[in-house]
Amino acid sequence: MKRIPHVIIALCLLISSSILAENTDDHSTAHTSSTEMQPINFTEWDGILENQLGNITVVDFWAGWCLPCIERFPHMVKMHHKYKDRGVRFLSLNLDEQGDKESIDWANDFLERVKADFPNYHMNENMTEAFERLDLLGLPTVRIYTTDGTEAYRLSGDNPYQQFTETDVENAVLDLLTK
Amino acid sequence: MQFFKLRVSVLLTVLLMAPAATIAGEYNMVMSIGDPLPAFENIPTTDGGKLSSADLKESVVIMVSLANHCPWVQGMDAGLVKLVEQFKGQDVRIVGFAVNHREDDRLPAMKEHATRSGYNFTYIYNESQDLGRKLGATRTPEYFVFNADRKLVYMGLLTNSPARKTRSGEISFINGDPVDFYVADAITATLAGKVVDPAETRAHGCTLEYE
Repeated sequence: MKRIPHVIIALCLLISSSILAENTDDHSTAHTSSTEMQPINFTEWDGILENQLGNITVVDFWAGWCLPCIERFPHMVKMHHKYKDRGVRFLSLNLDEQGDKESIDWANDFLERVKADFPNYHMNENMTEAFERLDLLGLPTVRIYTTDGTEAYRLSGDNPYQQFTETDVENAVLDLLTK
Repeated sequence: MQFFKLRVSVLLTVLLMAPAATIAGEYNMVMSIGDPLPAFENIPTTDGGKLSSADLKESVVIMVSLANHCPWVQGMDAGLVKLVEQFKGQDVRIVGFAVNHREDDRLPAMKEHATRSGYNFTYIYNESQDLGRKLGATRTPEYFVFNADRKLVYMGLLTNSPARKTRSGEISFINGDPVDFYVADAITATLAGKVVDPAETRAHGCTLEYE
């Protein structure tokens, strides 16, 4: 079998990497920061959660149209800095409309502005299906998982008689840290 | 694999925290289909009056949670106004209610919003938030349809395709043009004495903020 000259391999790599770069640019032309959301589908989200095993994991479900989400998000960032060295991982899952560039750009700008330097994801699926599949009624919702992946806390505004506060989120994390 | 399973204890806690009903709806933690309209008294309206549940004499009463600031309310305002028009002259009453304490959701802002959006129904502001709590309303807009006996026959979405007003002012339907008009169908069925199907859908919108 003939060997392919190194120069041809190098040329192919160069071309393919520039195509990849172009495709990436198609996803997000304006944002390249570490806070930028990664678009994912349902299967990828399941995999992301499974990869958190061994950590206490806090997931913030949010959207740019949700005012309380925006108001509370900075507290997540503060908690991330406070607890990241104690085995607690923070993730955010954005549920703005699939393909809505205006909203997704706004969300990325927001994440950059509040320095949300933990993994941020955008659910790139139909919004109705996403709320059904993720069993969400309203936003914000915060779910906290134990190191073995068990959902220990589900904090939401779904019950008018049982609303949650930023303190409730922190207390839940502290509770799991002491177990 | 059963990673990320919900603990039974969490479910039990959630159930124990819903004091107003022993069994709640699929998407509502307080009200179930068949539950009565919670009584309310002298709630101020945007037109300067007061409304009590005893004032509602129509065969079908629809309560809908609203919040001026909410892009989903703004996106579906036209659909709500159209719904009222659709049943004009029939024995149907639609009442919008707001409970949020944000300045832009309170009564003065509601009056402006009602005028701007052409609201053609009674719009009330429940400062105590009791009405919203008793209905188990947690999102805006969320519809509750009651029959002549004031029993709940439908709750949830207006249509199968919720709409949002975007930052640039466009109206965006998340599932394209609506094809299922849940509330209109529930009203029609109730007026005809028929069973409403579906009786419950997953409301979509901004979360109501209870203090």
